[in-house]
Amino acid sequence: MALLVLPACLLVLGLLIGPMILMFRISLNHFSPTQLMIEAFSFDNYVRAAQDPYYQEIVLTTLGMALLCTALTLVIAYPAAYWVGRLQSRWKSLVVIATLFPLLVGNVVRSAGWMALFTRDGLINTTLLKAHVISEPLALMYTPKAVVFGIVAVVLPYMILTISAVIESIPRDLEDAAANLGASAMRTFWRVILPLSAPGVAAGSILVFVLCMNTYATAVLLGGPRFKMMAPAIFDQFVRGNNWPMGAALAFMLLAVTMSFTIFGSIAFARRYRVR
Amino acid sequence: MISRRHFLSASAGAASVLASNAPFARAAESGQVVVGTWGGDYGQLLSDLIDKPLLAPKGIEVLQDVANADPRKTKLLAERQSRRGSMDVACLSDSDHYLVETTDAFEAIDPAKISRLDKVFPELRTRTAIPHIYSAQVILYNVNQVKAPPTSWADLWDPKWRGRVGLADILYPNNTIMAALAAGGNMSNYDPGEKKLMELRSLDAKIYPSNEALAAALKSEEVWLTSMWLARGFMWKKAGIPLSHVVPKEGAVSIVFEASVPRNARNKDGGFAYLDAMLDPKAQAAFADKMGYVPTVSDAVLPEDIAKQVSLSEADRARLLKPDYKYHTERMQRTLDFWNKEFKG
Repeated sequence: MALLVLPACLLVLGLLIGPMILMFRISLNHFSPTQLMIEAFSFDNYVRAAQDPYYQEIVLTTLGMALLCTALTLVIAYPAAYWVGRLQSRWKSLVVIATLFPLLVGNVVRSAGWMALFTRDGLINTTLLKAHVISEPLALMYTPKAVVFGIVAVVLPYMILTISAVIESIPRDLEDAAANLGASAMRTFWRVILPLSAPGVAAGSILVFVLCMNTYATAVLLGGPRFKMMAPAIFDQFVRGNNWPMGAALAFMLLAVTMSFTIFGSIAFARRYRVR
Repeated sequence: MISRRHFLSASAGAASVLASNAPFARAAESGQVVVGTWGGDYGQLLSDLIDKPLLAPKGIEVLQDVANADPRKTKLLAERQSRRGSMDVACLSDSDHYLVETTDAFEAIDPAKISRLDKVFPELRTRTAIPHIYSAQVILYNVNQVKAPPTSWADLWDPKWRGRVGLADILYPNNTIMAALAAGGNMSNYDPGEKKLMELRSLDAKIYPSNEALAAALKSEEVWLTSMWLARGFMWKKAGIPLSHVVPKEGAVSIVFEASVPRNARNKDGGFAYLDAMLDPKAQAAFADKMGYVPTVSDAVLPEDIAKQVSLSEADRARLLKPDYKYHTERMQRTLDFWNKEFKG
């Protein structure tokens, strides 16, 4: 039976762990503008990045955006997930496909569409100006708000589908029993549904948090050149600065922050809701 | 009679032929040439003016590996140790070419293989690239909004243009050079530009992620002035944006788009044949007409009206500034860090 995991393990080892080891080695090298990479074995890049207020701010912005977007997504997704999970209709599969539909459109294409909506002479500003609701175009593009909106819309289906799958498995009898014993709908939710759906909430939140931490296209296209998150900053070092060692060190810092928050969050969540 | 030695060498030859993906395609000056290039108009024009009319009759099939310059540069650097590279021709700007050339990634230009090399303007020749097209960094301004056009880079710092100067984020090195020239620096000293950029920041200069986003902002009149390639200005004018250009007093900075054959190209002869075709006078003139870039060969004649719009006057050409590539490359990290951390921070 253990052999069944072999293909997956080999794939991960070859295409993830292997390149990661290589990247880690690169992150220990030094950078030279003309020779590009000088063989070295030091943690200078990590130290420099950790001490640089610029990168500290980017890490905090990325973390803040990821936590905010995860929380917002959870609040928006849960009612929808409950509805999908409880739906008993022959249209159910269509509803699930409709939830998945946004994932069929690429991130970049979707953001390009929003750019057409949000720009100074975009659809929203033109409509509001024509309706005399505003006298000057609103600054919608290149704001953190636009990025939050963009990210939440991208990750929403992941959260809805993960939670609805768990809610589906909670017997409806439990809700009826709670009502029978006099619990209000709200109390039933807090004491019965939420704790039982906790594994779905945890899995969905982790998935969404990781996706948010690694946001690239949405941050660049909707946040504009002044808004910085970690993935665009890593791209900057690798591709614009040709500084692979620093880019690799930043990538490992992002990985470390994402992993520690994910592990810490999972443990805290498991303790609170006794998820096994 | 076939000796054992003959048999072995013949089988080894056959085996190597079978082992390669396109054995006969890799024969000299024929078969397939992979060209790493920009997409969009540039890629389309290469295909229409060079690939189909000039190389197809020679039996050369051209495959475009379309990407922006940064990924292409990164790819060339990443595979420079490999025996077999993925491109036979790499198109890069002059500054990017210099950086990749320092790693010894390109073949030297062989005059025997590029028959049109003697038509190339001598000042544009380099050891490992042919110059394809070139242009200059100038001031573009909205003719409806800017009645008294600026005459120098320093004029962009006039408080009356507060909030009306827009810059493209991707052109950060050239925006830094512009600020340096405005502050009395030169092509080998960008340092004065840093303070000057911070002044522009406090004058509420707008930054756009791409040239296209900047064009949209110029079109909607969100910004009225920018620093841009003359060729881009020509294209934007053609697209209906009411723009005109000024060659600033401090001088315009040149940009040359070049093409090279990587050392590990699989079809070097095909690559050189491609470089030769890029210097074709008709194709060069068509690039000027469609994209506003100036030919790099002496026998490409432009119609007068096009020449007036895309070329610099004799006096302006005399003030054309060429990057100090060594300084530019060595300072790149500081230029990028300042742009990201201070100017945009």
